[in-house]
Amino acid sequence: MAGGYKQQPGSRSSETRKDGKRVAGKQSFAPPGSGGSRPKMAERDLDFIPEMVGGKEHQPAGAHIHDRARTGTTVGKRIPLVDANAKVTGQAWYGDDVRLQNEIIGRIVRSPHHYAKVVSVDTSKAENLPGVLAVATGDDAPNKFGVLPVTKDEHAMAVEKVRHVGDLVACVAAIDEATAREAAALIEVEYEVLDSIHDMKKGLEDVDEPIHWRGKYHVGTTNVQKRVFQEFGDRSMVENPSAMYHGKWKFQGVNHGFTEPHAVVAHWDSNGRLQLYTPQQVPHYAHRALATVLEVPMHQINVIRTFVGGGFGGKSDPFPHEMCAAILARKAGRPVRINFDREEVFWVNRGRHPSHIEVQLYADEDARISGFDIDALIDGGGFASFGHVTSYYNGVLATAPYELGSFHYTGARVWTNKPASGAMRGHGAVNTRCAVEVGLDDMAEQLQVDPIDLRLANLLPPHSRTISGFRITSNGMRQALQKVREGSDWDNKFRKLPLGKGIGIGCGFFISGSGLPIHWDPNKFPHATVHMQIDMDGGVTVHTGAADIGQGSTTAVAQVVAEVLALPIEMIHVRSHESDTSPVDLGSYSSRVTFMNANAAIRAALEIKEKLLNAAWDVLGYHPDTLVLNDRRIYYKHDPAIGMSYLEALHKAQEDKGALISSGAYRSPPMGGVHKGAAAGLAPAYSFSAYVAEVDVDVETGLIKCTDVWAAHDCGKALNPLAVEGQIIGSCHMGLGQVLTEQMVYGRSGHLQNPNLLDYKIPSVHEMPNVTPIIIESCDPEGPFGAKEAGEGPLLPILPAVVNAVYDAIGIRVNDLPLTPDKIWAAITKKMKIERIEDATNLPVPRLDFSELQEKLAKRAAEHNIRDKKRQTTEDTSAYVNGVLFGFDPNIPLEEQVEGWAHADKPSAEQLAELGLAGKAWLKEEQRNMGGEN
Amino acid sequence: MIPVAPSVVWKSNINGQQKESLIPSNAILLDVLRDKAGCLGVKRGCDMGTCGCCTVMIDGVPRLSCLTMAQDGAGKEIITVEGLSDGAHLAPIQQCFGEHGGSQCGFCTPGFLVASQALLNENSNPSEQEIACAIEGNLCRCTGYQQIIDSIKAAAEIHRGEKESTPPVSDAHPDPHPTGPDEPTMPPGHAR
Amino acid sequence: MLMPPFILHVPGSVEEACQIAGDLISEGKEFDWIAGGTDLIPNYKWHINPKSDVISLASIEGIDTISMNEVGCMARLHDIAESDEVHSLIAEAASKVASSLIRRNATLGGNLCLDTRCFWYNQAEEWRSSIDWCHKADCGTGSDCRVIPNQNTLCVATYQGDIAPNLMVLGGIAHIIGPHGAREIPMSEFYQLDGITRNVLEKGEFLLKITFSDDIKNWIGKYRKLRLRESWDFPEAGVAAAWVQGDKSTMRLATTALESIPRLHDEEVASCEGDIAKLANTIFANVKPVNNTSLPPRYRRNMIKVLVKRVCED
Repeated sequence: MAGGYKQQPGSRSSETRKDGKRVAGKQSFAPPGSGGSRPKMAERDLDFIPEMVGGKEHQPAGAHIHDRARTGTTVGKRIPLVDANAKVTGQAWYGDDVRLQNEIIGRIVRSPHHYAKVVSVDTSKAENLPGVLAVATGDDAPNKFGVLPVTKDEHAMAVEKVRHVGDLVACVAAIDEATAREAAALIEVEYEVLDSIHDMKKGLEDVDEPIHWRGKYHVGTTNVQKRVFQEFGDRSMVENPSAMYHGKWKFQGVNHGFTEPHAVVAHWDSNGRLQLYTPQQVPHYAHRALATVLEVPMHQINVIRTFVGGGFGGKSDPFPHEMCAAILARKAGRPVRINFDREEVFWVNRGRHPSHIEVQLYADEDARISGFDIDALIDGGGFASFGHVTSYYNGVLATAPYELGSFHYTGARVWTNKPASGAMRGHGAVNTRCAVEVGLDDMAEQLQVDPIDLRLANLLPPHSRTISGFRITSNGMRQALQKVREGSDWDNKFRKLPLGKGIGIGCGFFISGSGLPIHWDPNKFPHATVHMQIDMDGGVTVHTGAADIGQGSTTAVAQVVAEVLALPIEMIHVRSHESDTSPVDLGSYSSRVTFMNANAAIRAALEIKEKLLNAAWDVLGYHPDTLVLNDRRIYYKHDPAIGMSYLEALHKAQEDKGALISSGAYRSPPMGGVHKGAAAGLAPAYSFSAYVAEVDVDVETGLIKCTDVWAAHDCGKALNPLAVEGQIIGSCHMGLGQVLTEQMVYGRSGHLQNPNLLDYKIPSVHEMPNVTPIIIESCDPEGPFGAKEAGEGPLLPILPAVVNAVYDAIGIRVNDLPLTPDKIWAAITKKMKIERIEDATNLPVPRLDFSELQEKLAKRAAEHNIRDKKRQTTEDTSAYVNGVLFGFDPNIPLEEQVEGWAHADKPSAEQLAELGLAGKAWLKEEQRNMGGEN
Repeated sequence: MIPVAPSVVWKSNINGQQKESLIPSNAILLDVLRDKAGCLGVKRGCDMGTCGCCTVMIDGVPRLSCLTMAQDGAGKEIITVEGLSDGAHLAPIQQCFGEHGGSQCGFCTPGFLVASQALLNENSNPSEQEIACAIEGNLCRCTGYQQIIDSIKAAAEIHRGEKESTPPVSDAHPDPHPTGPDEPTMPPGHAR
Repeated sequence: MLMPPFILHVPGSVEEACQIAGDLISEGKEFDWIAGGTDLIPNYKWHINPKSDVISLASIEGIDTISMNEVGCMARLHDIAESDEVHSLIAEAASKVASSLIRRNATLGGNLCLDTRCFWYNQAEEWRSSIDWCHKADCGTGSDCRVIPNQNTLCVATYQGDIAPNLMVLGGIAHIIGPHGAREIPMSEFYQLDGITRNVLEKGEFLLKITFSDDIKNWIGKYRKLRLRESWDFPEAGVAAAWVQGDKSTMRLATTALESIPRLHDEEVASCEGDIAKLANTIFANVKPVNNTSLPPRYRRNMIKVLVKRVCED
């Protein structure tokens, strides 16, 4: 080993006497922790170092604050997930793979009724069955919990009432599964059946026995869980529109369909601490809820996140079965494992809300979008879950990427006696986005313009504010639209394809990390914290609470640390499984991990880097500004021969103090307005996407096959293009399922008819179109190396793109997802009757003759193109708020410029008279205003 | 008392090793592999033959272990995901799934790997259609299948000998103490 | 999911299988046959009508023949689909069953004797208890049918096998064997209403093989299947047709997945004298699907017109 440590300072190589013997005290020793392969430093990889700092990586969106931290090591490279080997060898351990000594099996007793009072639970027979070690009921856990602090409405097991078929009533633990099932069957529950509600419209009505009771905040005696009213802009603009779209949409509930069913193992260790193994996206919420329910301080609970076999939002609530396992294990004094059958997964659900969404869109004579009116009634099922947020997201996430004259939203979420809806990939944004994008397509047709040009001429620029006050930073919407137009040969296909073949466009807009950490004040406590530790061996241990659910958050964190320190990614060890060792973190939801945790990790790594450079300064005598980190070495930038190894610098830095440690945190900047609900939808950055889909429609059977998708997504900067493409293609698959085949079917009796993977129809490999992922890099100023989210936003555009393509193919719009063949066939049959066509193959296909507006739009789009480029590269730093397109001055508050510029969060008396379906929730008073005692 | 099925002695060769256990007469292969043979890489996703996570090879044929009676697997050679690699060396299909993004959450991966290895054993030059048919019984919720197909194609190239198994992007055991360039890049004495 | 307790018998020969069946009958025991297991095992996991004994055919040698004139009950659908020996229509139908992985397990016998399906029936035990069971699996309660309420005498569960209509149009003969000896019956008469009875098999009997006359070589045909996904899904409707090559007047046509049994439509074909549109309408008028599969019955029934047209036209 050349250049090793010396016993005392001397020449570089071991000294020998003239007779060939070694000189005592002048021998080289390999430093502790060295050895291994690749003993030479690699060349700097200039292709992955930004041009602003002397590399060759092109930066069309300009410089970034993290450019100087780039070392060309991993960022931007297609690298495998760091846990790929565990997954391909079967060593990855998921919930059901945790096997502890002496484990016993838990089983849950579930309600056979939609809605009932639990009169009594008799567990004596089960307790007397040989082999049964513990039985628990609602009495064992009276404390409520819920994912949002404002809506804690769940119990571990039913207290007083069951709220849907499959709701938890009791649980048992026994020596094996057979005994546990037998014992579960022996638990006798007496119910008093109540009138159940299955139609979400009925949820708006006053009833005798609302599913939950919210006391003085309860809306009348209805089942309205949350109602939202938001109004921005000048409502007079929607008068006399040049085009108007009015669509009443119906969306069925969809389930995440992850392949791993829920499973949990609970174990109270010898010191009386709870060790809970669970595949959680958000271990911290489970941690909090467990403490509440079990009445044990959080520090006596260690939540261990196993590998997560798919989450998509469905594993982010604290779950009652997690509580059950802990309660049973405490009673039995042995580890308890509960694993779910697939129908239990559907009973836990938390999937996308079944929704009735009504949208009215307006365009003025210049084809500017003068108004969005959205009314969303969403079906929350039996519990609140994330519903409070979903109620807002259904509206507010439609306020961009377009510049709007006015925006009006009424939303309501009602309880029904179904499994609870919750957060699912694209949380709250997917359904409304579909309706809105289809509406734009329809208005483009009325205006006789190309729908892509209509969008291009109405986009908000980078560094602007939306009508509701969201702060848009980077914005790659325009490039995304341009790229898919080019890639799909749009101009030669749109409205030109033969009957049965169609092409359609759709856009998306999504948050990159929720701006509000639900449980604490973001001004006092950071969103994410990452700890780093490097001991003598040189390996970098990174502690983070980022929950890898397969999206690759562990890889992203490892990558950014490797990048900053110029170390091979194998030297970065991310520890994120245990709450004992990981800093508090909100885990994987709202597409926050890359943005927040990677930012925190960069900060922690920069702190280490500084220590290393200072140590090198001591040894080499060159100021850190003149030193370069590259592949395990630090050297003088003008002469790489003057340098030292990473390990030498590390050991120098460790002198007198041992292991280097650092901590990095991410806080979001102040954002958004102050109106009620202003926090909903706020994010430090937003992702944008545009898809073009091509479909084949069999006009005789109504079967739709999506053949090709060009999918452009602005993720700011692809830290790992392989992973980003995986997210884009995977999102296409999931969105395609919702638009074509997937639905949770509630039959005549209100039972979920298809709680299994045969009847819940997730697309197979044959239904998958050929997806061309296109990554747009708008380089977000605050994102880690410019990155934004790529996990959820890419799902949004596929739905409207397909619906629009179906219209292009057969001239029919169906506003009822999924577009199963029976609906398409029924619509075709109806049209044939109306138009007196005998043979479906003679259906007319829509064609387009441009109006004069088209040229005008193209011109405006071209002007905006120049405007956006200047703003993106900060050549133009003037203020831009929604409304400039309508001639307003961005530097004066709009309320002062425009008479009638509204900003309301409650309907006025006149508005109450003309509200939509969800808006009707505002016709009721809250209990506190009714003089009620509660 | 709970009625139980009588026990039978069950012998099989699992991943090259002879296994013998006492199993209930009505046992399903998936349960025996997970609970008796310790092959926790064989996953239970839907338990009714739709997700394909439990796919194993029985005498070289990919089979859904959740729909196979354990006794049907008796006396046969069973290969699970744990048996695909040659000791510490990943099989090409395993390596390619990592390199081409064929695995995200990884839960369906064992099933896909076994199904695609079975395909490559029979046909090292499968068309895209043949690949799709081979994995049509496996459900993946993360990848949208496209990167899985890419992975299988890449592994097929290695099977055909057209491509060497690519060396990993970086190195598993990098020396944290490497040497720099041999010669100064500037004239001696310039910097010092 | 946990299997209900049962004893699995694994006979090594047809005779032994019949012997076991005979013994179980005389002991008054209930039992099921299992071949590939892809139909029975999910039902058992859901505790749908489990029995105390199950006899496996998997270890019997020589009953998996695949040839032009004979296909054995244990022939795996994958092998049938890949075979060059078997009639191409049978191979085509086999290739459309479920998924490639399921076809590795599934057998011809199992597919032909497929239990009838219904979304009130193919559910977990807890689920079915929440609807107070149904007529087909009433757990001794005498429950009503959930598809056609207020009666518990007729089961309308749907037969959703792909291969049966193809064997019907090719004139397959079912060879049945049991403790009381062997018998033969044309495939067109093999099925019997209702959804619980399903077929002519008596207690203790099983389907041994299907044979065809030498003439089958001259026949060609088509099978069209309606389904949402190209993998996994059972047919929502299926139409098979076959005719002597070059002579459409010999056409025979059968449908599946519309009622509790697949049906051969010889009379309708004869009455329409080659008028395809008329034939499509006649069959449309004669089949009565009910609401117990994924797609609505009205749609499935209408699709028969399209499928008939597509199998008949060149």
